[in-house]
Amino acid sequence: MKESELKQYWAAANEKLEMSLQISKINTDELNQLKVYHFISEMKAIKLFTLICGISWVGIGSAILSRIFIYQYTYANKFFLFSASIQIALTAIAVIVYLYQIITIYSVDITEPVLKTQEKLSRLRSSTLWIARILLLQLPVWTTFYWNESMLENGSLLLWIIQTLVTLFFTFAALWLFFNIKIENRDKKWFRLIFEGKEWTPLMRAMELSQQIKEYTIEEER
Amino acid sequence: MKGTALNFQKLIEEHKGILLKVARTYCQNEEDRVDLIQEMSIQIWRSLDKYKEHCKISTWMYRVALNVAISFYRKNAKRNENTGPLNEELFQITEPDNKEKEGQLVLLECFIQELNDLDKALMLLYLEDKSYFEISEILGISPSNVGTKISRIKGKLKISFSLLKL
Repeated sequence: MKESELKQYWAAANEKLEMSLQISKINTDELNQLKVYHFISEMKAIKLFTLICGISWVGIGSAILSRIFIYQYTYANKFFLFSASIQIALTAIAVIVYLYQIITIYSVDITEPVLKTQEKLSRLRSSTLWIARILLLQLPVWTTFYWNESMLENGSLLLWIIQTLVTLFFTFAALWLFFNIKIENRDKKWFRLIFEGKEWTPLMRAMELSQQIKEYTIEEER
Repeated sequence: MKGTALNFQKLIEEHKGILLKVARTYCQNEEDRVDLIQEMSIQIWRSLDKYKEHCKISTWMYRVALNVAISFYRKNAKRNENTGPLNEELFQITEPDNKEKEGQLVLLECFIQELNDLDKALMLLYLEDKSYFEISEILGISPSNVGTKISRIKGKLKISFSLLKL
């Protein structure tokens, strides 16, 4: 088929569509008040809420831990203290990534060229992977915070074998996931298993788009 | 404010074709298409003050419409998957005796649906007879890159059409 014919068919199909799907007169007053379900506004709300929760958690946690470090260090349970400190530190890093995401959300301008805007949106969504990696890195400390001196002195061998195995397993899992949760592995079965579900769909799509953008950019640089 | 509202109404009326074509390219389900057109209209209304006169209004509208559509498409991918790739109403544009052309249009639609989000945008703009320069302004890539990408897509299209004839 010739190019011109192709374009003619396309135009004809559009005419038909235009007739069948009329845009009703839009009331701009209503538009101003309309609370739209939009991808950016939706992200803003969720991330702002998470950010507030994260900041509160890190803030309160840091205040409590610093008091213990300053005034009660000698008597404090060191396992709890260091486990909780690692947990709070990792959450604080995740909060920083959230902050970066919120700043990016506010800088997204949908009137800019498609590739530029989509690249920003895609980077924004893909950075959620970093949050997942950082938060998963906390896994081992959830198996150590309740240890105490009495357990060390009176615990049976079996208890310690089980405890060590559990902690080692979670440490290995956390490190493995930290190094392997990346865009390149998005098609692997285990990756899809973790990031399955409606809430992860935008992320998976963002990664696909990110690949498409990369292909366009490579061509641009040649 | 009233002036802006009037301009907006005029703008949408004059360029509704852009919204319809973008919606058609990215949504097969009519319900989704209507939702998408509404969302594109809202975003155009909200972004009106960002319009700079150094670019054509149609270029600007294509940018907003495509940016919204690509994100919207991702949001509703599930629903699209369930509705099948084609919508019959799009193909009832020719006379019954013109079956071959009808078939080719069906094939073209199928081909577009198979493309990724960015290639879809490129194909749409190409079919709309936009110049390489205008496409480059809308997508944000160089005109030579537009040319390369289009010839690649056209190559794939040729293969699809030749396979149909076999």
